[in-house]
Amino acid sequence: MGPVSRLIVWVCLAGAAEAGHIRGTVVIEKKLTRRTVTASAGAYQRGMGVDPGPPPAADPLAFERSHVAIYLEGPPTAASGGANQIAASIAQTHREFEPDLVVIPAGSTVSFPNFDPIFHNVFSLSKPKSFDLGNYPQGETRMVTFAKPGIVFVNCRLHPNMAASIVVSPTRWVAKADSEGRFDLSGVPAGEYTVVAWHKSAGFFRQRVTVSEQQAAEVRFLIPLLGNATAQPAAAR
Amino acid sequence: MRLGARTFLWSFVPVALLLTGSFWTVQRLVVREVRQEFRASVRETQSSLARMRSAAEQRNRRILKVVAENPALKNGLQLALQRRGDAEARRTLEDQLMEMGEELGFEVLSISDAVGKPLAGAMREGGAWTRFDPGATPLPREGYFTAGGKTYQASSATVDLADENLGTLTVGERFELSSLPVAAILTREGKIVESHGVEESRADLQSQLAHCSPGAECEARLASGTYLFASMEAAPPEAEEAEAGAGLPAGAAGPGKQTAAYQLCSVVNLDSAARPIQAMLRNSFSIASVLALVGTMILSGVSSRSIVRPISEVVARLRESEATGELPDFQANGSGRAGGVQEIRELRDSFARAATAVRESRERLRQASIEFIQSLASALDARDPYTAGHSRRVSQYACAIARSMKLPPKELEEVRVGALLHDIGKIGVADSILQKPDRLSEEEHRLIKEHPSIGRRILDGVQGLQPYLGVVELHHENWDGSGYPHGLRSEETPLAARIVKIADAYDAMTSDRPYRRGMPHEEALAVIAKFAGTQMDPNVVQVFLQLGRQEDELGAVLDPRDSLHRLAEAVGFSNGAAPVAGRELTGKEKS
Repeated sequence: MGPVSRLIVWVCLAGAAEAGHIRGTVVIEKKLTRRTVTASAGAYQRGMGVDPGPPPAADPLAFERSHVAIYLEGPPTAASGGANQIAASIAQTHREFEPDLVVIPAGSTVSFPNFDPIFHNVFSLSKPKSFDLGNYPQGETRMVTFAKPGIVFVNCRLHPNMAASIVVSPTRWVAKADSEGRFDLSGVPAGEYTVVAWHKSAGFFRQRVTVSEQQAAEVRFLIPLLGNATAQPAAAR
Repeated sequence: MRLGARTFLWSFVPVALLLTGSFWTVQRLVVREVRQEFRASVRETQSSLARMRSAAEQRNRRILKVVAENPALKNGLQLALQRRGDAEARRTLEDQLMEMGEELGFEVLSISDAVGKPLAGAMREGGAWTRFDPGATPLPREGYFTAGGKTYQASSATVDLADENLGTLTVGERFELSSLPVAAILTREGKIVESHGVEESRADLQSQLAHCSPGAECEARLASGTYLFASMEAAPPEAEEAEAGAGLPAGAAGPGKQTAAYQLCSVVNLDSAARPIQAMLRNSFSIASVLALVGTMILSGVSSRSIVRPISEVVARLRESEATGELPDFQANGSGRAGGVQEIRELRDSFARAATAVRESRERLRQASIEFIQSLASALDARDPYTAGHSRRVSQYACAIARSMKLPPKELEEVRVGALLHDIGKIGVADSILQKPDRLSEEEHRLIKEHPSIGRRILDGVQGLQPYLGVVELHHENWDGSGYPHGLRSEETPLAARIVKIADAYDAMTSDRPYRRGMPHEEALAVIAKFAGTQMDPNVVQVFLQLGRQEDELGAVLDPRDSLHRLAEAVGFSNGAAPVAGRELTGKEKS
């Protein structure tokens, strides 16, 4: 945890910066996702699942950290940020969605270009936005606009292994943690907010934060929240 | 052949033959039974293998059904159906198939539409996936097919969306005969495509297989033994077939039928498989039969010995008696043997009876001949009153001498009988000469001198008298060779004849003659002593003189002849009759 503690020190020192700024860290100490990879020919036996092991030269925790979406839930006044739509893109290459996680403010449009020499069929059945782009071949791009906030899971009808998540934020302040877990939300007006971190496997994590113009607010997420009361409602019942 | 060998052979050979034959037969029977049993177990194994295989295939079909329920595949199939001829759509489907194959471990996959028209295919070659054109190589729905020089086993499942049949998914797995636990061959229309674990050449197998009806169990005799071919295909369950057929229009049945040409047979060499058991059986049977043979041999030996021993004992006794001339007396120790076999006992008894009879008759014969000799001697003596009893007396004297010389009984007998007969030749001499009271002329002397030769001639022809011829012929030979008829010297003359000569001389001197009276005993002894070394054997003379002196010393005895008689009797000589004095005999004969 050397880098993490160093990071905390760094965050503390950099406290007196710009007003309306939230700096945060995501700490993940445990693998959350079990990634399945199709085994190479000859290495498999029929009917047996194969654990490919950690991808070479990649920190599995870094993968987890870079798959955490961050956005702000604020006072209703702050939520009206309609002018902040962005255009995101999820490409289909090598039978995978690239990237497989995007965070967008509500009202943004995501394009789905197909770069594979085969058909793909992008669809979603999620509540905030369900859609089916149909089969389309290489070179074609289809778009979807997400008006309602929420989580939208995207899949391909032809390739069940393909999956992507789109986090539609109610506010315009969105971010993705980098491989070291750092994130940065700037330009946030002073006020009371809730910082939401979302991980596909771990779920939602919220922290109240007060943003002032003098000082950057600091947030630290420990995913999953070990020893947290929310982790044991079933046991309390 | 000896009886022992014969008994042994007759008891051993038939039993040995019988034993060997029965062992051989039993061994054959057991081996056949084992073979039969083995065949049954092989059959059982084959059929259970076939069942297992069909069960595995059934399971495979079920798995494939689940695979065919893959919605992605259905989407892909729908896409391909919607855009027939579109390369990208086909590639999408191929890609799906490849991934499926990669995940599930199939080597060949193909998908066809509802009417059996192929849409896409994928095949793994050397670890990499390639396109596979199912239009060029149509896959059978079930069974075996060859692609790229390899044999595959195919199975199929229909891809349905609700009630609509979208198509058929066919997968092929690499089929290797070597993966089977038994030797097997795969044939296509009677031709062997692949074989595994069979040493025989394919051509041989093929020619034999031609006689076998496909699908049925079949036995074929090849160079290396008898092979059992058994189909390893269990008949596909009717329900399955019906279901598959129902969901499929007529077209799909075509390739299905084609697979019937393939036939998978397990091959078992019954001979080589049964060989260890057979060898074991053969070994144990050989050991048992050898033991039995040895046992029989010992038994035969013992029994033949037990049969032959008493006989050989008897034979040995008989042979011994043949050599010695003594008749065996079985009675004496025959009864002593308690364990004698009855037949042998009877044999021995009858031998004993015969021997007794022979002995008796021989005794009688001897008796008769002795009587005959005595009567001859008496007849001779009767011719001349002066020589009456001469032969008997000479015999007695001679016997006395021989006895004191300790001659063996045989020679004693020779002396006794020889002395009795010694003057028998005088029968051939005219009475006028013999009884002539005057001195004999030259011519008469010559005639007298012939009596030993005449005696010999007379007795020559009589059986049983040969031993006594020497005495009869040579009792006038002298020690110095001056005697007659041959002039033999010293020991050339038999001892018996020399003894008889002395006895004769003594009796002649002491007897009365028409022309002179008999000499007294001492005088006669003196005369005989004088002749020792010239006419008579000095040794015998010495013995005789000793006898005579002994007599003298006794004193009481007046008549030397009587004393000699008594001496003879005292020594134990017996002529079988009551002691008869010379004078009495003479008197009797006179009357």
